[in-house]
Amino acid sequence: MSANELSHLVKMANQIASNIGLGSTEDEAVDKVVNHISLFWARPMREKICANMQESADDLNPIATKALVQINAKL
Amino acid sequence: MLQRSDSVNPDTSGLSSVGTGTVAAPMIFDPRTDIDPDKDYGTPAPTNDPTPVGELISLRIDGKEVRVPQGTSVLRAAAMADINIPKLCATDSLEAFGSCRLCLVQIEGRRGYPASCTTPAEEGMVVKTQNDKVAKLRRNIMEMYISDHPLDCLTCSANGDCELQDMAGVVGLRNVRYGYEGDNHLDAEKDESNPYFTFDPSKCIVCSRCVRACEETQGTFALTISSRGFESKVSPGQDQPFMDSECVSCGACVQACPTATLSEKSIIDKGQPEHSVITTCAYCGVGCAFKADMKGDEVVRMTPWKGGKANRGHSCVKGRFAFGYATHTDRITTPMIRDSIDEPWRKVSYEEAFTFAASRIKGIQKEFGRNAVGGITSSRCTNEETYLVQKLVRAAFGNNNVDTCARVCHSPTGFGLKATFGESAGTQTFDSVEKTDVMMVIGANPTDAHPVFGSRMKKRLREGAELIVVDPRSIDLVSGPHVKANHHLQLLPGTNVAFINAMAHVIIDEGLESTKSIQERCDVESFETWKAFISDKRHSPEETEKYSGIPAAELRAAARLYATANNAAIYYGLGVTEHSQGSSMVMGIANLAMLTDNIGREGVGVNPLRGQNNVQGSCDMGSFPHELPGYRHISGDEVRTQFEKAWNVSLDPEPGYRITNMLDAAVEGTYKGLYVQGEDIAQSDPNTHHVEQALKNLDCLIVQDIFLNETAKFAHVFLPGSSFLEKDGTFTNAERRISPVRKVMEPLGGLSDWEVTLGLSKALGYEMNYNHPSEIMDEIASLTPTFTRVSYERLDKEGSLQWPCNDETPDGTPIMHIEEYTRGKGNFALTEYVATEEKVTKRFPMLLTTGRILSQYNVGAQTRRTENSSWHGEDVLEIHPHDAEDRGIVTGDKISLASRAGDTQLRALVTKRMQPGVVYTTFHHPESGANIITTDNSDWATNCPEYKVTAVQVNKVLNTEDASEWQAQFAEFTKEQLAYLDN
Ligand code: SF4
Ligand code: SF4
Ligand code: SF4
Ligand code: FES
Repeated sequence: MSANELSHLVKMANQIASNIGLGSTEDEAVDKVVNHISLFWARPMREKICANMQESADDLNPIATKALVQINAKL
Repeated sequence: MLQRSDSVNPDTSGLSSVGTGTVAAPMIFDPRTDIDPDKDYGTPAPTNDPTPVGELISLRIDGKEVRVPQGTSVLRAAAMADINIPKLCATDSLEAFGSCRLCLVQIEGRRGYPASCTTPAEEGMVVKTQNDKVAKLRRNIMEMYISDHPLDCLTCSANGDCELQDMAGVVGLRNVRYGYEGDNHLDAEKDESNPYFTFDPSKCIVCSRCVRACEETQGTFALTISSRGFESKVSPGQDQPFMDSECVSCGACVQACPTATLSEKSIIDKGQPEHSVITTCAYCGVGCAFKADMKGDEVVRMTPWKGGKANRGHSCVKGRFAFGYATHTDRITTPMIRDSIDEPWRKVSYEEAFTFAASRIKGIQKEFGRNAVGGITSSRCTNEETYLVQKLVRAAFGNNNVDTCARVCHSPTGFGLKATFGESAGTQTFDSVEKTDVMMVIGANPTDAHPVFGSRMKKRLREGAELIVVDPRSIDLVSGPHVKANHHLQLLPGTNVAFINAMAHVIIDEGLESTKSIQERCDVESFETWKAFISDKRHSPEETEKYSGIPAAELRAAARLYATANNAAIYYGLGVTEHSQGSSMVMGIANLAMLTDNIGREGVGVNPLRGQNNVQGSCDMGSFPHELPGYRHISGDEVRTQFEKAWNVSLDPEPGYRITNMLDAAVEGTYKGLYVQGEDIAQSDPNTHHVEQALKNLDCLIVQDIFLNETAKFAHVFLPGSSFLEKDGTFTNAERRISPVRKVMEPLGGLSDWEVTLGLSKALGYEMNYNHPSEIMDEIASLTPTFTRVSYERLDKEGSLQWPCNDETPDGTPIMHIEEYTRGKGNFALTEYVATEEKVTKRFPMLLTTGRILSQYNVGAQTRRTENSSWHGEDVLEIHPHDAEDRGIVTGDKISLASRAGDTQLRALVTKRMQPGVVYTTFHHPESGANIITTDNSDWATNCPEYKVTAVQVNKVLNTEDASEWQAQFAEFTKEQLAYLDN
């Protein structure tokens, strides 16, 4: 059962959002996720997940989605 | 040689507890520090020496004034003044025993002839070590020994290295009156069961050094002296052969034996060495120092070196004995290339291999973009080699797609400790354990995976330190000879963070935190936020018990024990990091230590036990895709510019792919080339199906290794690697100790690994010029602030250095965060428990966790090619008796193990070490396919795979002829690839 690249990226983004965001306001949580992904994800990974946000809309959690919108804007 | 000991040199330790106050005027000879590690002083240096620095007691031995610390034996005091009193049962790695009486001396004002090894030196004592009477007594003693000893010295394997022989000479034994006809032990039978050493009781003098070594040094208690008087003899276990006993083959007894009774088989076969070179073990993260005992360019024995500060003269079965792989016939020593993996290999010159590889890589980059290639550095190679590979990727490939196998073990350690303390490394030196009162061992199995440190822990535990073990499985430390855990918290795999939060909750709940140190040393705002978070009832042990399975009362008791200890230290391993919340767990551990003021002095701290020898080093050297050497982010302009200038290239400011992402992209078809040095991702990385699919998709896989490993079966270019015996370099162990690795033989493939990387880089159009690895280290030092004072010259002089080693700490840093944390104020991180997605279901009702065992190392490529396989010929599945019974499984049955990712077959071992519902296996043999089972779940912050939790089903295999589908394919593929080799 190996996930494809996109579904793996979606899972990673969700995991980051659910681990990093707690205890802060939504805006702060989004900032933290944006920061983490910018620091640790290669550009092609960011491009791939952002380019396919429509497709993954149902799978991404809300914080991750908001963070990706910001990341997309900076690409 | 001048050897400094960390614990007593106020400059290096920086600890107030050892007296940073007045240091006495320089002495000609300091008996604490001016110790020659190659000399045997007869008894150990006194521990807990009460004499203040600079104040010594003074006595006269044979007219010479000797000044020593209190508690020093007369034997040791004499040895310090180069007066060598004859001795047999004493050696300075063991406490004095006083049985042979050869060391007797005359002391003015005392009656009789006391044994100097058990007599403490006293102020004003006057000692005579030689006179007629003493000489006669000694001769009589020797005569007794020799009358029951075979006189085959000339053909004895210990000839030239036998203390009995030496002593006979020293005391001037000239004849033996008792005759050899009387009762003797000359016909006693040899025990050759151990593959590495023999036991020939006919040569035993019953000095009990071996027994004491097994107890004091190793802590296994496998040997006893049975019977008394003439009948007394040494035997393993209940009069068993060594291999059937508790013996773990550490070799401490062999090293301690003064005669040929316990001898290495290699010495029996080849004779005594003629020179030795000090080097560092290439197996685990303890980083033991060894003397490679040589005959020409052949290693005949590895002897742990007493001057080694990580191991203090001890070793385990791997480092001491399992070096034969280096010259195994499976070594591949010629470069090879092929166009596709369905073709036989062609042996070529290095030049041709480099050109071929370079043109393929360039072709890929032209077609698929600069980011379509990358490299993987090895935690088994040296710092210098690792540095070069990441440099090649960043400078010659022009991207940051470099990662290391540490990704799959300790990447959460780097992330978690950096986020809380500010530095991606353990806080302590190994010696620190000697001051620890409470040890908490989480998800680590030191007696198997870090054996020498495990022995040091056991020693401290026997002295009375208390122990908390947190592990799903009952590891040896939980209950062993003279060691028993006060608490074994047997949690369910995957609930670590719930556990660590509950510990912190109890400490806050019961007011056990150290308010003063938190106020002084930590970021108070982060603490207050964290305190509000952790105080919530959801973190109480009564709540977490429901899913972690740890009884609340037991956890509360453990939390109190940890919080109230004078010095409490946490030791952890891959059972902490290899989880979907590995990074959270590391931060939770750091929180706990800060909360209880257990950071910044001896005896405390957070200690990650590193798996492979150079995990710490490979991370330090910039192997992660987002970091340059010294853990500095690639996006930082100042740092990047510095490297750009030094390397004369422009660097990509964006982080690159991690291994996992490389493989995902390879499966997608966007990533096409990979250079792998000394690493076997096809075997060691999770979800083998996925890895194999990725590797098959590559257009250019360059593997540099000593064997045709599993990954190399998918390669297009094979570059011969060199073992640690064939190159110069350095390794950095779990305590940040940089130790030299020295070349003792020429590389079998003609080039050392670093030279191969240079060749490849040149072919890629980026030339690097170094004549020797020391120049690489100089470059590292010039670019890495924590390394500025490290050089080969200094390493030769000091033996080893612990980073940070710079202008502020020129002698290195045994203990970190003493005055303040590296990041300034300690940061409390919020660590919410998020259950893993890997959940048990009807179909997969059990949890599999993985680990390792003593005799094998990692993917086993080295140890499987040695006699170590006598202990662990195959990986087995450990299962609790209840689960086994439910499935009709008994020990030895073939079982199938299936998860969502795949299935394989193993043999079962039914054992109460496991808790019901949890099974366990190791991954040392490729055909077991443990990673067929593991999934691609990973740590949220670092993508470190979740090896430690997989939902599985276990069933008995009825038709034992059937292998799993994957195993059948594996066997077929292996056969095919091996056939491509011999042409
Ligand atoms: S080899 Fe080690 S474990 Fe075995 S008997 Fe000797 S000291 Fe004990
Ligand atoms: S085996 Fe060696 S160390 Fe052990 S009692 Fe005999 S002589 Fe001494
Ligand atoms: S494997 Fe580890 S413990 Fe054993 S000798 Fe080597 S470094 Fe030491
Ligand atoms: S060396 Fe002192 S009694 Fe044996």
